[in-house]
Amino acid sequence: MTRAILPPSAHPAEADRTPEDRGLARDEVRLLVSEGPADTDHRFRELPGLLRRNDLLVVNESATWPASLPARGRAGAFVVHLSTRYGARLWVVEPRWSPAVPGPVPIAPDETFDLAGVPTRWVAEYPGLPRLGFVRPEGDLERAMARAGRPIRYGYLAHDYPIADFQTVFAKVPGSAEMPSAGRPFSRRLVAELRSSGVRLATIVLHTGVSSLETDAAAPGARPVYPEPFEVPEATARAIRATRRDGGRVIAVGTTVVRALESATDDCGLRPARGFTQVYLHAERPLRSVDGLLTGFHAARTTHLELLAALAPAERLARAYAAAVDRGYLWHEFGDSHLILRP
Amino acid sequence: MTAAARPLAVVTGASRGLGAALSRFLAAQGFDLVLVARGAPALHAVASELRGSAHIVTVVGDVADAQVRARIRTAVHRHGRLDLLVNNAGILGTTPLPPLAAYDLRELEHVWAVNVMGPLALVQELLPDLRSGRSRVINISSDAAVGGYPGWGAYGASKAALDLLSLTLAHELAAEGIAVLSVDPGDLLTPGVRAALPEPELAGRPAPEVTLPFWAWLLHQDPARLSGHRFRAQADRWEVPE
Repeated sequence: MTRAILPPSAHPAEADRTPEDRGLARDEVRLLVSEGPADTDHRFRELPGLLRRNDLLVVNESATWPASLPARGRAGAFVVHLSTRYGARLWVVEPRWSPAVPGPVPIAPDETFDLAGVPTRWVAEYPGLPRLGFVRPEGDLERAMARAGRPIRYGYLAHDYPIADFQTVFAKVPGSAEMPSAGRPFSRRLVAELRSSGVRLATIVLHTGVSSLETDAAAPGARPVYPEPFEVPEATARAIRATRRDGGRVIAVGTTVVRALESATDDCGLRPARGFTQVYLHAERPLRSVDGLLTGFHAARTTHLELLAALAPAERLARAYAAAVDRGYLWHEFGDSHLILRP
Repeated sequence: MTAAARPLAVVTGASRGLGAALSRFLAAQGFDLVLVARGAPALHAVASELRGSAHIVTVVGDVADAQVRARIRTAVHRHGRLDLLVNNAGILGTTPLPPLAAYDLRELEHVWAVNVMGPLALVQELLPDLRSGRSRVINISSDAAVGGYPGWGAYGASKAALDLLSLTLAHELAAEGIAVLSVDPGDLLTPGVRAALPEPELAGRPAPEVTLPFWAWLLHQDPARLSGHRFRAQADRWEVPE
């Protein structure tokens, strides 16, 4: 059903470099606003004029790790993308032949391979998610990243960028394998302007693992997500209550924020929460926590796109996506933005 | 009795399925292990696989058997401390799963002896060690404990009883620093399930390793805050209760 949002035959334009490399400031990327029946074109820095006093933007404070590490094992040289840390001695990772060439890389059960100087044991494949596996490092992988890590970079990027290019202005707590990219277009100046125009800001942390999986890559019956650490602080729960009381709208900046807020929401409403979440949001599980979403443009058959269908009807999103393709909006983490507001 | 440096976990039903996956995980986390199971060859295979990374003692036998429990206690005493007891051993009972109205009552007694009395008897047996270790007890439950699924009545009722034992023990033992909780691992593809269920019901069940992130999370929490709670290892989220 979500296939209809972006048909596999569509060829959206891709951002193959950072906005700065395209001669733009962070906040000069384009912004498509889908509200009611209209899809209107803007610049991201026009955001203060598009929101109302008492609206609340919730942003992710997770900072991006240089999570791509060189590895060597019986299969020869390969790379490992660190996805999620479940404890010092249990990580989920994605072995690949290179940043551009995915696996599978044949690693034997119990094989110990070298991961940027840290002997690391392959524990098991992640059940149902064949690209991912559990490993047990015999050393500190966070230190290994500081020493030898590079940002995860996929084939569509023209060249390497330093980790600083993968940080948002909100980045504070390291732990994401990939940039929570919806926050990338915010500049400090824009944040100040938003505040002075009466828009509130609140924060969550959700450390996102390696890319949104293709929903049909998971084994039949398996959910195409895995647990990620998150925290919704008390101050944010309070800000959301105040926003509702004052008639403002709660707008998530990024799908990670939606996942965190939905994970903190139960039948009694939203409360502070801290733990791990693997909530899988899709059209049949409508959102309870947000009125809008500020996000990028997502590839077909991904869990990100499924999540959008939990916010707005698939046929409405399909129209917005068709407009975005027609009008040359740019896809991927350094691309353009999309503000979807519930009617 | 000398205090050993490495923490010790007792895992019952350790020879295959969730018990074997959990034993591998605990060995990797630095636990020494007392592994208990009825099937000697499979148990010894798991033990020899793990001997490189942990000190392993095996006890072959049924937790419903008092002599087996005494041997477990001896192994714990030899090690000198106890940090974690995982009551994972359990049986499905008659298969294919008959409806309750037709359930053989003698078989039902056996299911309860293994699934309910076994874990409680092991807690009683190891109580001094649990006390001095301010240990955790994890009882493995099932969604059948709350589901009312046709055919799962005998097994489900035993797991519901085990849940209530966990909750009650958590209250009774809290003052002694012993944490007791129950964990529903969710649907898994294990040898026991594979033998008992028709093929169509096996589709989509993940391997037990799907629960590893949950165990890693659980071991890093303050046991006292988790005691008396029931967790689902494949739930949408896990968090420390308020």
